[in-house]
Amino acid sequence: MSRKQKALIMLALAAAMTFGVMPSASAMHIMEGYLPPTACVLWGVLCLPFLAAGFLSIRNRLNDNKRALPLLAVSGAFIFVISSLKIPSVTGSCSHMTGTGLGAILFGPFAVSVLGVIVLLFQAVLLAHGGLTTLGANIFSMAIAGPFVSYGIYLLCRKFRVNRKVGVFLAASVGDLFTYCVTSLQLAAAYPSEQGGIAASAIKFLGVFAPTQVPLAVIEGLLTVVIVIALESYAKPELKCVGYYKEEAKRS
Amino acid sequence: MIVIDKICYSSGLRGVNAGEKMAFSVMTLLFCVVSRNAAVALAVFFGNTVLTLWKGRTPWKQYARLLLIPAAFVLLSTAAILVNFSRVPLDAFAVPIGEYYITGSRRSLALCIRLILTALSAASSLYFLSLSTPVTDILQVLQRLRCPTLLVELMLLTYRFIFVLAETAAAMTTAQQSRLGNRNFKTSVRSFGALGSMLFIRAVKRSARIYDAMESRCYDGKLRVLRESIPPKGAEIAGIILWGLVLFGVFMGSVLL
Repeated sequence: MSRKQKALIMLALAAAMTFGVMPSASAMHIMEGYLPPTACVLWGVLCLPFLAAGFLSIRNRLNDNKRALPLLAVSGAFIFVISSLKIPSVTGSCSHMTGTGLGAILFGPFAVSVLGVIVLLFQAVLLAHGGLTTLGANIFSMAIAGPFVSYGIYLLCRKFRVNRKVGVFLAASVGDLFTYCVTSLQLAAAYPSEQGGIAASAIKFLGVFAPTQVPLAVIEGLLTVVIVIALESYAKPELKCVGYYKEEAKRS
Repeated sequence: MIVIDKICYSSGLRGVNAGEKMAFSVMTLLFCVVSRNAAVALAVFFGNTVLTLWKGRTPWKQYARLLLIPAAFVLLSTAAILVNFSRVPLDAFAVPIGEYYITGSRRSLALCIRLILTALSAASSLYFLSLSTPVTDILQVLQRLRCPTLLVELMLLTYRFIFVLAETAAAMTTAQQSRLGNRNFKTSVRSFGALGSMLFIRAVKRSARIYDAMESRCYDGKLRVLRESIPPKGAEIAGIILWGLVLFGVFMGSVLL
């Protein structure tokens, strides 16, 4: 064995060890301090219109009905706790749901955008996932882009009368995949490759995160289906409380 | 349950004015992120670590474990920045594979080292805040900074509910484990579904009960709690300003040299 081969094997071993030992939990939260200041500000500003719309919709809802405040708080806490639970995995590694798809289906994307800010802030402060300067970028990918895509797919599937389980699965897993693509693009835009620019860099980021994120999206879709079906079969009054059935009635 | 929350309540820096701690943490954070300078990053990391471990009396094992949380992210994304696939080898390293090279340049190598240092010390700034200041104190500062009351209120309630729900979820997990609920992949998916849906039902029911309780105590849209007021100390403010000047000096020094 040549020295180069030995080095290669050692490197592979080190990589395998890291993946075995480290939780891939927070792999998709952009870490504190990882983005340049211009990107931090830019993504923060991009989030503002969505957050303002979400904030106003929540305030209007509260003016109608004060009872909604603890309900919203509980919904936020529910998303936080669901995303901090260890989920079943095939490989035995420790990973977590993002909870964005489930939140968007249950509470609607505007409410989730505001709840998402709170959840992401608490995740940064309490769990050390993500950070304060990267909050804007993380909000955009996880609390805005993901939920809106999830909700759009969910509505489309409903409209074309796709099987419910398939619709929920697609909504949650595609929303998850979209979040991962947006995060990769954010990183790529901040750190374009020396050869090939942003596009090449985006492919590299997508490739690097794919092994953890693609299986996660599938599992997330599966779990969301199981939870939504269980809720529909024995939590009708509670779902009515969060406005899940009201919107359904309005639409049909 | 949530480790950081437990540590911050018993921190040695718990008795310091929350606004000061927040100002310090944000200031060092901005120094790191805006300057993106290795020397500044090292100074900030050193300062935060000394304060957290020595003044805050945070167990160093916990601190080290927290610093390792973003390690997977750092490794993966730094690899993505560093490694290139191209037909022409770059100057730092190049491993040939067929016609192509896995290669990287000296410039991006330097960028990556700087990036890791910056990110690590920025994380230490965040940890300084979260390991010394409970969330309720942070929310009080936000309130004083004219953050909308509705938002602060919502955050406070969410924070309270997180613990209630986390406790419920932990009890359910124990029950499921003891009944072989996570025996294989299929059962664990089913268990997780049951857990998620039950958690949701409990959460909604509890929120209704809590609202009733609050309303019977004259809740009018604002929670009024008695605040523990810790006035800022002149010496501490002077220390923060001094540290800011030192960091600025480090930055200027490393740019000029």
